[in-house]
Amino acid sequence: MESSDFGRFSDPAVLILASLAGGEKHGYAMMEDIQATSGVRLGPGTLYGAISRLEADGLIEALPAVERRRPYRITQQGAAFLRTYLASLQKIVALGYARLQI
Amino acid sequence: MSPAIRAWLTHLYPRPWRERYADEFDALLEQCLHSPLDVVDILLGALDAHLQLLNGENVNWRLMNMLNKLRTTILIVFAAYIAFIVAGMALVGLVDDSPMIPLMQSERAPALAMDIIRLGSVVALLAVVVGGLPLAISVFRRALTVDRRNLGLLLVPVISFFVLVLYFGFIFLVATSRIQINGVVPTVQPDNFPLGNRIMLIGLALIFVLGAIASTLAVWKVIFRTNAARTTFQTAGRVVSIDIYKFAYVPAVIATGCMLAMTIATIVWSFLVFSALPGVFFGNFGLWMTSTSSWVYGIIILMLISSLTAVWGVVRGRSALAQTRSVV
Repeated sequence: MESSDFGRFSDPAVLILASLAGGEKHGYAMMEDIQATSGVRLGPGTLYGAISRLEADGLIEALPAVERRRPYRITQQGAAFLRTYLASLQKIVALGYARLQI
Repeated sequence: MSPAIRAWLTHLYPRPWRERYADEFDALLEQCLHSPLDVVDILLGALDAHLQLLNGENVNWRLMNMLNKLRTTILIVFAAYIAFIVAGMALVGLVDDSPMIPLMQSERAPALAMDIIRLGSVVALLAVVVGGLPLAISVFRRALTVDRRNLGLLLVPVISFFVLVLYFGFIFLVATSRIQINGVVPTVQPDNFPLGNRIMLIGLALIFVLGAIASTLAVWKVIFRTNAARTTFQTAGRVVSIDIYKFAYVPAVIATGCMLAMTIATIVWSFLVFSALPGVFFGNFGLWMTSTSSWVYGIIILMLISSLTAVWGVVRGRSALAQTRSVV
């Protein structure tokens, strides 16, 4: 799975995976967590666009709803994907720093 | 943001998406929908969801969409079948007590065509009953346990039927002179068919047709509201699970085939009968002593429209059925 497969939802998808890596959350809790940790506020349409794709690809899974709010958790496949993605990002970060001679 | 606006915004998404996410999405909007930018974001999200569907992207709710298509197929065939019944009843009314009867007793070919129509009607009815049974049980179960607002809609066919029976009772009382109305005679003859009797019988046809339309619409609505693609039965200690719409597909194809066969048989029958009896065709032997030819054309057109609609529905559902199998 390439992150580019998520189209305009690629960044939200990674943010959601990173958020769920810290524990299961429902939609609103994910929004709050992502805003608190990355400063990015995902709109409801963007959030659920990414959630539906992540769920379809088996990277996250839905848990039974509690009072209409449905929590999600990251799957093993999702965690592996996030690891690979972050590792490749880390390489780019290291390369960028090296070339900037920081 | 008001619940009505939230519902409207959620409604912008495709049906299969809503079936999966609407409830939790609404719960989210209840908490976070504050700015016009959120509304724009939802509009873009809805557009994206529609594009996903159009592009055939492999999303979970794609499966739901295929089941949705399959459900629409079954409903299209059901509605077409009801329209076909209306045409069939008109044909029965046209033939009943008409000069065509003696001809069919002496001529083999028109009698054979009529036998095909009768056989087709029996097989089509059986197919509709068998195919629709798991769906009907599932709908009733859910109406009684989960979605009680469907109970009101399910009463529409029952009420329509009772109104029809009551009206039949009224006509029976008039025909047996227990009720006497000015301008209405108990028994009509071709040379004595007063306007009052015509109006009374047109009322019967209207009640039948309007009842059929109202019942079909109500059943359509109930089935669309009932979000269940599978039902289980317990028989002789065994639990049997049925995919309602997949199960109903083959009977729908059989019913459609019967409708097509009956339409062709009706055209052949009309040609054979009215070639032998041109005077009847151009005369006033139709229902309520009106133009025979108008009734014949009307019946054939309605049969053609309904059977071709059913064919369209079945073809539309075939690809959904194949895709459902490949996804599952």
